[in-house]
Formats: sequence, structure tokens, C-alpha cells
Amino acid sequence: MPLRYLTQGLIIALAVAAVVLGGCTRKQVKLPGPGVPGPGLNAPRTSGPLLEQELQTVQANLKPVNFDYDRFTLTPEAQAALQYNAEILKRAPQVAVLIEGHCDERGTDEYNLALGERRARAVADYLTSLGVPNRLSTVSYGSELPLDPGHNEAAWAQNRRAQLRVSQ
Amino acid sequence: MTGQPMSFAAHSGPSDWTGLPQTAPGFRPSTHKSASSVEKDYFQPRRDHCGHRATRGAWWSRRSKRAFTLLLSCVLLALCVSVPESALGKLIIDLRNPNRGKMPIAIPDFVSGSSGGISGNALADVLRNDLYLSGLFHVVQAPSDNSTPIDRPDFDRWAQAGVHAVVLAHFETRGDQLVLEARLYDVPMRRLEMGKRLTGRVVDHRLMIHRFGERVMEAITGVQGCFSCKIAFAGQTESREIFAMDYDGKNLGQLTRARTIVLSPDWSPDGRSIIFTGYGNGRPDLWSLDVATGRLQVVSSRPGLNASGRYSPRGDAIAVSLTFNGIPKIFLITPHGDIIKRLTDGRGNDISPTWSPDGASIAYVSDQAGSPQIYAIGVQGGEATRLTLDTNYNTDPDWSPQGDTLAFTARMNGRFQICTIRTDGTDFRVLTTQGSNQEPAWSPDGRMIAFSSTRRGRREIFVMDASGEIQVPVSGIAGKAPAWSPRN
Repeated sequence: MPLRYLTQGLIIALAVAAVVLGGCTRKQVKLPGPGVPGPGLNAPRTSGPLLEQELQTVQANLKPVNFDYDRFTLTPEAQAALQYNAEILKRAPQVAVLIEGHCDERGTDEYNLALGERRARAVADYLTSLGVPNRLSTVSYGSELPLDPGHNEAAWAQNRRAQLRVSQ
Repeated sequence: MTGQPMSFAAHSGPSDWTGLPQTAPGFRPSTHKSASSVEKDYFQPRRDHCGHRATRGAWWSRRSKRAFTLLLSCVLLALCVSVPESALGKLIIDLRNPNRGKMPIAIPDFVSGSSGGISGNALADVLRNDLYLSGLFHVVQAPSDNSTPIDRPDFDRWAQAGVHAVVLAHFETRGDQLVLEARLYDVPMRRLEMGKRLTGRVVDHRLMIHRFGERVMEAITGVQGCFSCKIAFAGQTESREIFAMDYDGKNLGQLTRARTIVLSPDWSPDGRSIIFTGYGNGRPDLWSLDVATGRLQVVSSRPGLNASGRYSPRGDAIAVSLTFNGIPKIFLITPHGDIIKRLTDGRGNDISPTWSPDGASIAYVSDQAGSPQIYAIGVQGGEATRLTLDTNYNTDPDWSPQGDTLAFTARMNGRFQICTIRTDGTDFRVLTTQGSNQEPAWSPDGRMIAFSSTRRGRREIFVMDASGEIQVPVSGIAGKAPAWSPRN
């Protein structure tokens, strides 16, 4: 069945992408390697709880979304990442998604809290517009939880982000 | 991060500062009854019925002159303090004069009437540091002199030293009790300006001297100092917790055991509670900490942000930024968390409210014009007016206790600096230059500003005088978001 092959191909692509991008996510999640049989997204259940491993697979495949300095508008790259994420989330509509908004250290703390909230909301609104059926909620961490503790442009660029966390 | 209950407990280490006496009798009407140190005026020369220093003209009206003479005679007879009656102007620092110089003052080592225990130099140092940090005094080195009684100062010697004022103090320890008698003298006029007799526990000696320093400030500037205040802040050590310390950094204590992110503490006007934003339930909720018991309560846990809570001057409302019905907007809520009203509107992120001292207005940050700027709005409503224009990133406003100035953080050359501006938008000043500096907080007397700075590497709490001339690190540990308590 062509659909099944397509699905399996996507799973492998996702797994490879996750390995490549894995360094960017805060919580490292162990993935089943390519070719390893196991409950993956190829047999999604759209109701009832996912297996823990399925949840981890979804989590590991979600891409972080980055922002320009002092902005909460979605760049074309951010929109592409969210479109990718939306297709994954649609296949696990029963999971809840918490969207974390983060800022770099070059803003004052309280203003960064507001900015992080706006970033999280921008992501939530966009996912909704893409038809994501999941329960979405937002939390702002301002500049309290940098991914990279460095004080340079590379670190700041990584830290200006929205991260998606899935749970049952 | 999510789902964990926020477990807090009050720190109960040896430095149990919450048990300090809150108010001495005669200080001010207060609900605090736990005063264990006592303060007595034995000469309180020039104060009108409101407690304000009387102006010379008003004081020497004919009617009051007779009363004054009578009163003064009684006081002199009772205390045998030799104060020459004089119509000459009093010892004064005019805070309204921007060109005023610093008043030279000598504070020799306090004279001990008992052997052993605390050194008179250590006690005098507390007061020397207080007056130095006010930015109003030049504290002149003075040799100790144990031979002259404090009630008979050698005015010739102090005049020769070039000082306008001198503080002489004598103390005795009896067991765990300290009895301190301190006097402020006007050197050119050769008269006693103010005197206090304080008794308290030896462990509270810093507080006793801070309180005397507050009276020195009041006698000379007309505004009571605030050296007995504490500063709460968000610690940035491995465990991020709310800490508090004396304003000069002593008696540091941890107030929470949150084990999570805590932000933006603000002290209630009665000193009993501290509100802050904490992630104990995985979200930025507004919490209230009972300072005496360590008990914690959620004040507002609406969806989204419950951030930058600030008590009104009377303590009957909290201004806070909430996002439960959209983008961050300033709301007024009761101290229990019920919404009184929504204050701001529009499409900007509105955060970091600060109350005018009369409680009638609130300044806050909004990026409605594209970059964060400071606006003010009446609590009763109306149009918001923009106050800052000078740079394109202005945040963290804090309204001065005098009501005429805002301190705030401005971004300059990629760093943050503490600035001030008058509430009419004029007189923009930059007070810091080293490192990155944020979160200015005026002391209750408006003489000092606490803030956080990275100039020594890690971010820590600094205190400066209102002009920015003197800037010293005080927190000892990494921290941010300082908030002053009322006087203790």
C-alpha cells in the first residue's frame, strides 16, 4: 500500500531529522533507530493515550522555533518549522501541547516575560490556523531558561525560541 | 518543571531577622507590638505638630516662641543639657538645592562604658556607612576620644577639624542588652541638635544604629532616612529563591524553599508579606509569602502570565500584568487576587507597573509604539501618556517616593543602564556606566536606588545614592530584582 510506504518513509526521515536536531532540544529523548521495529507513528491511534514511547517519538520530532531579536512575529523559517510540527501533531490529536516562549538575555527580565508570552501565543495561534486539533497552552519563561548559557550572537539566536512540549 | 507542588518553608537559620523589633514606641503609629528595643528622645528641639521640621519663620512666630521657651526650659531643667537658645539657622542640608555640597561630619568611635564585647569602632562604622551611602555627607576621619564626655563636646576641636556636625555616642552592654546614647551636635552653632537613648538586644545593634541614622537624616534634611529597611531580591544561586538582607547587605537570609524560578518580589507596605512571580505550579503565578511564618499562598494563577505584581502605596490593591484574556495588560487586583479593573488597553505588551506615591497613577512599560517605552495612566482611567523618548528601549520604571522622578532601565550601546527622568519628561539622566544594570528600586526616603548589575561578572544587587555618585555591591550572592521593605 503506497500510503503505508509513505508513512514509513516519513518516520525514517523524522528519526534522522531528530538525531540531527536532537542537540537543540533540552530534554534528550532516546529514539528507536531506523529499521528498529517498534510502535511508531505508523500505527497512530487517534483516541486513547499514546504509549510512552510514542509520546517520546512525537516529542523528539518537534522542531524548535526561533525568533528575531525583540520580535514575536514568525519568520518564514519559523513558519516552515511549525508546518512540519503541525503535521506531526495532527497525527496525535489526543496529546496536549504546552508551548514555551523564551528570550535571550539582552532584554530586561519582566519585559522578556511579556515577550516570551507573545512568542508562545504567536506559535499557538499559527498552529491553530494550520488546523492543529490538539489542546494548546502557553507558558513564558522570559530569559530564565537559556538553552545556551553563552553571551554571544550564536547563543542568543538559539535562546530566542518557542519549544513545544507534549503530554498525555 | 511542571506538576510539582511548590514547597516553600521559611528559613530558620541563626540570623532570624524576622524576629527583629519592627517598631520602637514613638516611632510611628503601628500595628507591630514586638518592639524589643526602646528609643527615647531627650531633646527634640524643632518639630511641629506634624512631626515635620519647622521652618525658621514659622517657628519664631510670636505665639510659638513663648511656648518654645517654656518647653525648652523644662527640657533643659529636666535633662541638664546645655543648649544655648539661638535664633540662628539650624544645621541643614537643602535637598531642593541641586548645587548643594556634602556636609562634613565626624563620627568618632562610640565610647564603651563596659569592657569587652562589641568595639566602638564597629558600631560607629554602621553609622558612617549609612551616612556615606546617603550621598549627602562627607564622613571625616576622626580619632577616637574616650576622655571627653559625650554631653560636653570639645567644639573647638571639631571646628578645627572642619566639620559642621559631629555624632558622639556612648554605649554599655549588660548581658545581652545594649544601651546606646547618641547625640548629633551642630558644630558651628555649638549646640545639641538631636539626641537618642536606645536600648535593645546586642544582636540588634546594627538595627539600633540604623534607626539613629534615620533620625540624623531627619534632623538635617527634614526627611527621615531608611537605613533600617530590608531589601528582598530574587537569588540567582543554584537554588533560585527569594532572599532578604539589610539594605547594606548584612543579615542575609533565605525566605523561600521554592526550588523553582522566582521573580519580581515586592514588599507590602506593612512589611508583612512579599508578593512574587513563581513557577511552583509550572506556570508564572503570583504568590504571596508571609514573611513572619514563611507561609505561601497563590494570589493569582490565571492562564498565562501573572507577572510584575506591585502593591499600591496603601496596600489595598496590586497592579499586575495578566494575559488570561489576550496579550499582557495591566490589571488592578485585590491582595486576595480578585480583579478590581483592567487598566490598560491597546495592542502593546504592557508590563512592569509602578505606583505614584499618592496612588493616583501608574507608570508601566508598553511596546505599543514598536519598542518598549514607559507610559503613565491614571488609576481612574483616561489616556495613557508616553514619558520616555530618549532611547528606543526603556523598561523597569520605578516611581520615586517624592513623586517627581522615575528611575528606569534604558538600553544604550547594547547594554542596560539605570536612568532617571522627571515625570514631565524632562531632565533625563544616566546614573550607571559599568556593566549592564537593571531593575532600579528607590529607597522609601528617595535618597538611594537599589538595582542589579553585572559589572563584577555575575549579576548582583547594588545600592547607589540618588545621584549615582556612590555605587556599592551589597548582596554578597548573585541576585536580581531588588525590592525595599518599609522601615523596621
